[in-house]
Amino acid sequence: MAYSGKQIKYKFFELLPVLLLFFISLNGNSIIDLKFFSINIHYILVYFWVLRQPDTLGYSFIFLSGVISDVVFGFPLGVNALSLLIIASVAAYVRVVTVRITLINDWISFIPALLLANFVYFSSLYFSDYSVDYLYLFKNSIFTFIFYPILWIIFRAILNFGKY
Amino acid sequence: MDTRRDDVGISIRSALLDKGTKQKFSLIALVIISIILIVVEKIETKPLNIFRSFFEDVIYRSSIVIASPSKGIENFSSFIKGHLNLYRNYNELKKENDQLKNNISKENFLELENSQLRKLIDEQVISNNNLLSARVMLDKQSPYLNSYIINSGSNKNIKNGMAVLDGKNFIGRIVDVNFFSSRVLLISDLNSKIPVLIEPSASHAILNGRGSKEATLEYLPKKHTVKDGDTVYTSGKGGIFSPGIPIGKVKIVEKAFSVILFSDLDQVTFINIDLGNTKKNN
Repeated sequence: MAYSGKQIKYKFFELLPVLLLFFISLNGNSIIDLKFFSINIHYILVYFWVLRQPDTLGYSFIFLSGVISDVVFGFPLGVNALSLLIIASVAAYVRVVTVRITLINDWISFIPALLLANFVYFSSLYFSDYSVDYLYLFKNSIFTFIFYPILWIIFRAILNFGKY
Repeated sequence: MDTRRDDVGISIRSALLDKGTKQKFSLIALVIISIILIVVEKIETKPLNIFRSFFEDVIYRSSIVIASPSKGIENFSSFIKGHLNLYRNYNELKKENDQLKNNISKENFLELENSQLRKLIDEQVISNNNLLSARVMLDKQSPYLNSYIINSGSNKNIKNGMAVLDGKNFIGRIVDVNFFSSRVLLISDLNSKIPVLIEPSASHAILNGRGSKEATLEYLPKKHTVKDGDTVYTSGKGGIFSPGIPIGKVKIVEKAFSVILFSDLDQVTFINIDLGNTKKNN
């Protein structure tokens, strides 16, 4: 069966979030660490796609990508997977209860997602006897929240580009 | 009120339990699997360890493939930067070379004197170091963990806790061993705590990683005489590492004792692992 150019484009954009997800976790780039701030792109990616196009980014892919991140960073298996799934859970809940898609809605509902995911992350690492720079993580969460709209616009452009 | 509570319940149930059209697992099932994984991580049994080693080896190898383009770009940019700094480095090296030439004559004299003194006290000078070289496959200096993945594992007799050196300088220890790869926890990591000895004051302390390039000295004795520029060595206390492996120089900033490492942890390609006496025992 031959694929037309439009079908290939559609397939590519459908697969793009999954490819990005695995690229980020295998490359160890889930956190973009710049000089004065850092952003957790993994959280934003999962939150956006579960919220807007859940069929594209399967939960099992999110789980697997979290496990890969754990191995790459040397954390106990399941820590990143659990926090990513918490993000996905909040996104799935928000998707069920909201009707209109707006950036403000998504942005505000990202706060509880971040809080819950980081709480789970801290707790699992605390019980695993790992030292973590909590101030760094706090700053990271703040900047992840601040930068959400920029990535929201980019991801939305990708989403629309795949549709038309 | 009850209706609203019911609505929330239904929404949560729908979000967590519904699989959707293309999902193979529900969210709650995967959350439970993640929790089980975290618990299982604490259990140390042979079959689990074998599975873990195999799984980690596979992911490390895939990670190398995925990271190769970005690594290539990084290498290229550092190559360009290196060329741009060539002239400045040349002048610095010239100056350093002149200084070293002056020092060599002094050192030759000291070496001669040292060997004569050793003979005098009948000391046997035998190196106990049993080193194994390995290549750094992945350099994961994330904000959370500063570590390397190296291309040798239990196949080369590597064990947890062994000291890792860059040339002759101490840079970390082995924390995770797989069949064909191991993880090195660098001295700069927050979880790294190394017993050290500071010369010439002979004070003992603990070198604590900070997640940055410098580490800090803690638990120094109350009446210590540690100064700027003192050299820090492994103390060998607790029998974990060999004593006397150089680590870095002390730098005092606002009453805080930090240590500037002799090795630049961003520039390490090959490392040595101190196998201790494992080969001799075998």
